[in-house]
Amino acid sequence: MASGKVLYPLYQLGNPQLRIFRPNFFMTLVRPGVTQPEDTVQFRISMQMTRVDVKNYLEKIYNVPVSVVRTRIQYGANNKRNHKNQKVKKPDYKVAYVQLGQGQTFQFPNLFPEKEETPEPGSVEDIQKQFMENERQRQTADPRRGGVTDWFGL
Amino acid sequence: MAAPRGWRLVWQGCRLLHTEPSAAPQPPAPLYPPVVASYTAKSKSAKRRRLEYFYQQVHEAPSIAEKLRIYGRRQRLKYVVYPQTFSLNADRWYQSFTKTVFVPGLPPAGAEPAGPGLPDLSELRSLACDALLQEHFYQRKRERPVLYREQQHVPAPFLTQLVSSLTAALGSCNPLLTTSCLDLKPQVNFYWERGETVVCRGYRTGRIDPVRFQIDDKPHIQIRVPKQLPEFVPLDYSDPGEVPVINHKPDKLPLFKRQYDNKVFIGSKVADPCSYGHTQFHLIPDKLKRERLLKANLADQIEVTYRANGIASLFAWTAAQAMYQGFWCEADVTRPFVSQAVITDGKYFAFFCYQLNTLALTVQADQNNPRKNICWGTESKPLYEAVEGNNVKGFNDEILLQLVQFLLNRPEQL
Repeated sequence: MASGKVLYPLYQLGNPQLRIFRPNFFMTLVRPGVTQPEDTVQFRISMQMTRVDVKNYLEKIYNVPVSVVRTRIQYGANNKRNHKNQKVKKPDYKVAYVQLGQGQTFQFPNLFPEKEETPEPGSVEDIQKQFMENERQRQTADPRRGGVTDWFGL
Repeated sequence: MAAPRGWRLVWQGCRLLHTEPSAAPQPPAPLYPPVVASYTAKSKSAKRRRLEYFYQQVHEAPSIAEKLRIYGRRQRLKYVVYPQTFSLNADRWYQSFTKTVFVPGLPPAGAEPAGPGLPDLSELRSLACDALLQEHFYQRKRERPVLYREQQHVPAPFLTQLVSSLTAALGSCNPLLTTSCLDLKPQVNFYWERGETVVCRGYRTGRIDPVRFQIDDKPHIQIRVPKQLPEFVPLDYSDPGEVPVINHKPDKLPLFKRQYDNKVFIGSKVADPCSYGHTQFHLIPDKLKRERLLKANLADQIEVTYRANGIASLFAWTAAQAMYQGFWCEADVTRPFVSQAVITDGKYFAFFCYQLNTLALTVQADQNNPRKNICWGTESKPLYEAVEGNNVKGFNDEILLQLVQFLLNRPEQL
């Protein structure tokens, strides 16, 4: 085999599928705790990743223009104790702040938007909702009794 | 317990009885000093009183040096603003810190002060070319420059030589230059407060605190003069634009906080007669070189670097000059202050003019203040294309002419 050049076998029917080799790094896009400028994106990344790795990862795999990457390591708290009064350390993690290039902006999406839905009258959900409301109404105590338990009295 | 309360009631009654008739004839002067809030209590009025006492101390300082000392006496964590910064889009942030409007292009040229005409341009061009060839051709530079010190190797001596020879040649045209003072690598510092924030750490957690900034600048050369340059536009000039508003903490630029001596310095002590600025010359460091930014795919940041440098350096220098004249944030400037800057990496030159209209940048002073500082600036252009052997290719006379115009700037009467 030629040195330095890897020859992959030609794909034939029945062979295992073609694979794409990607680094075994994981980057988690997170919602920034402190609001960042529009062009800054925050990630939690593997401890081994450097800022050059982050830049290559985003540019080569996702085609995201990156201008600058800043990283820091967040110390996980170790002031927690378990039931045997031993210190429990939360793991440290690395945070990357990526500034996008070419005037691109990013805003973390609202993953759980408030649903404002009114079920159509006559449907199963509507009946169920009404039933639950009635039950809740029935189970509330009588305000005229002034908080006295219901087994007390005639 | 009952007796003292009873006595107090009687005493108050007496006082009421006494004060009612005396209110009519208007006593000429109060017999007692006014009742003021406590100085030491933990209350809003006490805090206000302490602040007023501080203002009074600065206002009544016997000398400028003493005033500057009192002004920067309290040390707290402050953001250190670097004029030559690697941060992206720093110019917009610096505009908001300094309340500066950036106007592309140079300010409207005023009436040319009468004086001896411009010397022969070819003479000046040969001076510039000589300085250039001295570094590139005549001189044999043996050692290779250390990494990131290349600016010290060729462009820095070129700039020094260019400026000193040009000022010497133009001394006959501009008598102000003959009395000027040329500083090599001077220190320029400025400390100011702008905006408010909530303290998030330490025993002062939760209190409202002004955001403090410090610039420690080191221009390559600067020219100071004993007379103030003429203003470009009047003090209450209608605003040419808006100051960008940034709703994030400066940490996000990123800027970092440090605590050390708060210093205001124009490059010389207060007693120096050359207390006004004429022109600064800045050298872009190797880390922000054009090729480096292009390689990092940050071509749009090249001009931003120049702009940020111009805005921050000129604000620091001009504001420090204003403070040397006794103005500060509670005593705003009564006349505009003006400085100029040339920012270069040895080949590309950008020109900046700054007019300081206001020093009132703190929240209290800035409430009803329509004035804004104005910075004019050009994009960077090359002085020459290349140096081949002992001749300079494509020398750009426009840049040289602009440089000469900057150096010829002077007030009407000397």
